[in-house]
Amino acid sequence: MTILDDETLQMYVEESLDHLEDIESDLLAIEQAGAGADEELVNKVFRAAHSIKGGAGFLGLTAINQLAHKLENILGLFRSRELVPNPDVINLLLQGFDRLRDLLQDVDAGRDADVSELVVALEGLTTANVPEERKPSVSERVQVVLDGRGPVFTVSRFELDQALEGGKSLYVFEYDLIHDVHRRGRSPLVVLQELEDGGVILDAKVELGVVGGLDSEALPRSIPFLVLYATIVGTDIASGVFDLPDERIHVLGEANLRDAPPDPVAPEEKPAVVVAAPASASSAPPDSGPSAAPPPRPPAADPESRAPARSSRPKDPGKPAETSIRVHVSLLESLMTLAGELVLSRNQLLQAVTSGAAGVDRIAQRIDLITSELQETIMLTRMQPVGKIFGKFPRVVRDLAQKLGKKVELELEGNEVELDKTIIEGLNDPLTHLVRNAVDHGVETPSERLAAGKPAKGRVSLRAFHEAGHVNIEISDDGRGIDPEKIVAKAIERGLVGAEQARAMSDKEKVALIFLPGLSTADRVTDVSGRGVGMDVVKTNLDKLGGVVDIESSRGRGTTVRIKLPLTLAIIPSQIVASGGQAFAIPQVNMDELLRIPASQVKERIEIVGDAEVVRLRDRLLPLVRLADVLGLSAKYRDPATGQEREDRRRSLADRRGRRLTLDDPGTDPDPTASQHEDRRGGPDRRTASAVSIVVANAGAFQYGLVVDELLDAEEIVVKPLGRHLKGCGCYAGATIMGSGRVALILDVPGVARLARLTSVEGSARAAEVKQQALRRAVGEEHLLLFRYAPTERFALPLDMVQRIERVGRKDIVTVGGRRVLQYKGSVLPLLALDDVAQVGVPDEDAEPVVLVVRLPGRSAGLLATGPVDAYQGRLEVDRETLAQPGIAGSTVIDGETVLVVDVVDVARRSYPDWFQEYEAGETEAREGATLLLAEDSAFFRGQVAGFFREAGYAVLEAEDGREAWDILCREGEKINAVVTDIEMPHMDGLALTRKIRADERFRHLPVVALTTLAEDEDIERGREAGVTDYQVKLDREELLASVTRLLRTEEDA
Amino acid sequence: MAKQQRRAPDQMCTFWIGDALCGVDIRCVQEINRQVDATPVPLSPPHVLGVMNLRGRVVTVVDLAAKLGLGRTRFTDETRNVIVHSQEEPVGLLVDRIADVVDVDPGAVEPAPANLGGIRGTAFQGVLRTEGSLVGILDVDAVLGEEA
Repeated sequence: MTILDDETLQMYVEESLDHLEDIESDLLAIEQAGAGADEELVNKVFRAAHSIKGGAGFLGLTAINQLAHKLENILGLFRSRELVPNPDVINLLLQGFDRLRDLLQDVDAGRDADVSELVVALEGLTTANVPEERKPSVSERVQVVLDGRGPVFTVSRFELDQALEGGKSLYVFEYDLIHDVHRRGRSPLVVLQELEDGGVILDAKVELGVVGGLDSEALPRSIPFLVLYATIVGTDIASGVFDLPDERIHVLGEANLRDAPPDPVAPEEKPAVVVAAPASASSAPPDSGPSAAPPPRPPAADPESRAPARSSRPKDPGKPAETSIRVHVSLLESLMTLAGELVLSRNQLLQAVTSGAAGVDRIAQRIDLITSELQETIMLTRMQPVGKIFGKFPRVVRDLAQKLGKKVELELEGNEVELDKTIIEGLNDPLTHLVRNAVDHGVETPSERLAAGKPAKGRVSLRAFHEAGHVNIEISDDGRGIDPEKIVAKAIERGLVGAEQARAMSDKEKVALIFLPGLSTADRVTDVSGRGVGMDVVKTNLDKLGGVVDIESSRGRGTTVRIKLPLTLAIIPSQIVASGGQAFAIPQVNMDELLRIPASQVKERIEIVGDAEVVRLRDRLLPLVRLADVLGLSAKYRDPATGQEREDRRRSLADRRGRRLTLDDPGTDPDPTASQHEDRRGGPDRRTASAVSIVVANAGAFQYGLVVDELLDAEEIVVKPLGRHLKGCGCYAGATIMGSGRVALILDVPGVARLARLTSVEGSARAAEVKQQALRRAVGEEHLLLFRYAPTERFALPLDMVQRIERVGRKDIVTVGGRRVLQYKGSVLPLLALDDVAQVGVPDEDAEPVVLVVRLPGRSAGLLATGPVDAYQGRLEVDRETLAQPGIAGSTVIDGETVLVVDVVDVARRSYPDWFQEYEAGETEAREGATLLLAEDSAFFRGQVAGFFREAGYAVLEAEDGREAWDILCREGEKINAVVTDIEMPHMDGLALTRKIRADERFRHLPVVALTTLAEDEDIERGREAGVTDYQVKLDREELLASVTRLLRTEEDA
Repeated sequence: MAKQQRRAPDQMCTFWIGDALCGVDIRCVQEINRQVDATPVPLSPPHVLGVMNLRGRVVTVVDLAAKLGLGRTRFTDETRNVIVHSQEEPVGLLVDRIADVVDVDPGAVEPAPANLGGIRGTAFQGVLRTEGSLVGILDVDAVLGEEA
């Protein structure tokens, strides 16, 4: 049985699986087209079934043969347009082909498999669909009898008729496997294929009976191989065309066809094994073929014929694990060429090294070139098109949609995009999950869609494309989208995020929470996609492939999941960076760009918000993480003068500019590093001495800036795994060996972010937005709260003064002892009304009052107002004369409307004089000719405070920030008698200014009064430490004046 | 204890860690070299010296003394890196000095004492009593296995 060897079987299986590969999508296309199905396509599927059937018959794979046969019949009906493809039929066909694939993947087990159920179903379908008069022909069997040899084939009348349509002639070709096939270097399958191009093979078999049993001594001289064949080729030329002697071409007429007993396709029927048919069975068989009961198998033949096939099968029959891949010959050839060249170069190198001759560098260059080419080519052999996985989705989507009663159209794009085999294999599960999710959870039912004004048919699209050396895969649907609130609610419920955290998140980040372990959003658990495990597994799987996954969803419009993958896993392009004197590699897939901020721009572009450093990148703020800090290394910097590496001891990259922004925790100590920083300004300024290198890292849902000491080269690195002792570090993706032979660690970008506690939440775009808004205040813009009292007048109050806004009912406002108070939260808040002190209109009777709770020296009070309450932000000029009156500091114009700026301290003083300390006359009187330096970044407060002092008779020099104040001081230091400074200012804050003053011989004696809107004990303490003489609340005119006067007197006395 | 019942090795490669003479089964020793210059791995456990390139493989180097609670190894000319196989992965063990390869007479193997030269007894499979000295038979997997 050498001819039916393992190789032939293997070839048949591989070929058949190849045939089956596209069948699914073809069938689906046929289904879609319905009656108008492309004839070519139908033919293609038909031929596939047909060749599988042919080969199976030849190899004795009865179950496969039978099944393929029935499938072919139905496809034949499509072809002859006797049956219009519809979902039911296609379902059955798909099932049939599925089963066929299973059988082929495990050929040995498939031999004896029971396919009767499908066969019966398929046959039933055929019978049901052929015209009445031909119905009996489906079950009618015909024996093909050769003169003097008895029946050799049994076929159904129906098939025979079909095959003979169009005036074909029927033949039995009798090949001799030894002489006609084997000796001519052909294989039986090739012969069959050739025949198929010119006609229809109805059946084929090897007549082993003639050969003799195994016990017969003589070697067979020939092995007949019979093919029942219908072709258009005429009898006269058949011999020439098919290259067979006339005597072995049997032309069949009606005389050769005999009715056979009807074929009972009983479920219990055991298919005959033609290959192993005993000698006696075919010498004079009354009936052979599928209908016959199985003849007893010769025991000796059995193991021999099957053992080799078994040994070569893949070990795991359950999964179609690939043990071999197809590589184009040209690719192998170029590999051979390269290998040859490599050997050649090695010889040259050895020679050069031993002889000490020059030119080693030239050879090294050559080897370098060959190696990279070799690497590329080897990688190419591993590349496979994404279409391999994409191809199965039409079926997945179709089946799922049918099951769920949805209408879904799948669009595939970029089938040809290639990825490393390992990645392709690893992608299968996550992609399937995502596609199923899109159909199950994304796309709505047709009625829901229509109600939402969308076409009934949903759309799911899968797109693969190259981008910057990576492959992107997008799975998007136009379904209902993901409700970020639902996800957040669930995440909070499961304790995955805090409610506080959640509030600061953008919708995108909320949606991204879906990747957290233990969060599945399906309300109900379906067998389709919601099994409690979900997107987190997808993410984990993709992480393993070195991929980055990102999700974007808009409610009612759909969801897009974007996966960014490296082309290959083994060798990845990466950026080498240095931190703490050590080299690290950052995979380029995790990197968006490199930033180098020149020394001169560091101060403008790197800022501190809260206690985090951020960099201004185009219009966004990016949280910064210092790699050295995260890893506990000490940062190094290169001294620009000497080129030496030195330890970089700065703890923050930027000064502290701007106010302390208390987004989350008002109690945090405002960054103490800034002050230390300023201390060093006397010496060589380190901060400006070196540029800052930043890798803009991409951790999927968010970006951050990774500050490194130095950016080195971009290199292709070979990823090596790290040992188990280092798995717990949480920030390495592996290691690589550098050109120097040293090991460098590969950073895990999301891991570093985690270690830096820069979760997607804190480092979030939303938080950055909020912070950015807050930041703007730091650069001299005013933040005002706009409100009305009488409907005709608009008022403004500096936002800094306002603690909060309370919407109250009129009944909450009561008059006690002649004074209006607000009873609320169990306490009593004194109320201020503008019309008590100023000439302004009064609100309408029925207007809903709003209380602006303001902080006054030593207490809180409520300012009565009416809505709408707005915020305003921007630069503006305050006219302090035209409309100024008691309680009103002045006026400004906002959006074309005149707005009165309220001096709420004045209002309070006039309404409740007893709240304020009375000063003796003269106590607030200015010293003759005294000059004050006032540093304040808010133009509003600056004008206000300068106004107090000028009124009292002081000369005032104004500065917008600490730096300007210092310049003025240096320029006109002689005549300045005292300094009044705000604390929070850009460029140089009040404390830094104070320290500078205290450190300078010339100004050390000057009294410094610090101003603040919100005096808190710890602020005051810090002020005292810095050398502030006194602390005053900004708008408390009397106290401020008294304080300055007192201080100047003391100084004079001293 | 199951550990002590395990068969003692036939031959051991012995070395000094501080004052303790220890040995490991020679079958799990791949090589001994002088390569003690490893790339430090920030945030790794304190007893991990770093990673090194062993002919294309990245090998974790463990400071055995630190792992056994004797403090960090001080590098001298005699410091060696013993590459052993532990759980199918090569690991470098930093030792103070290489001693000898000794044959193990199973009869001379005794259960480990609670403490051997300052090292916890649980690190050993047993001790080998030879003329004038006591060799602790290091249980490599137990010593290195915790992180697995």
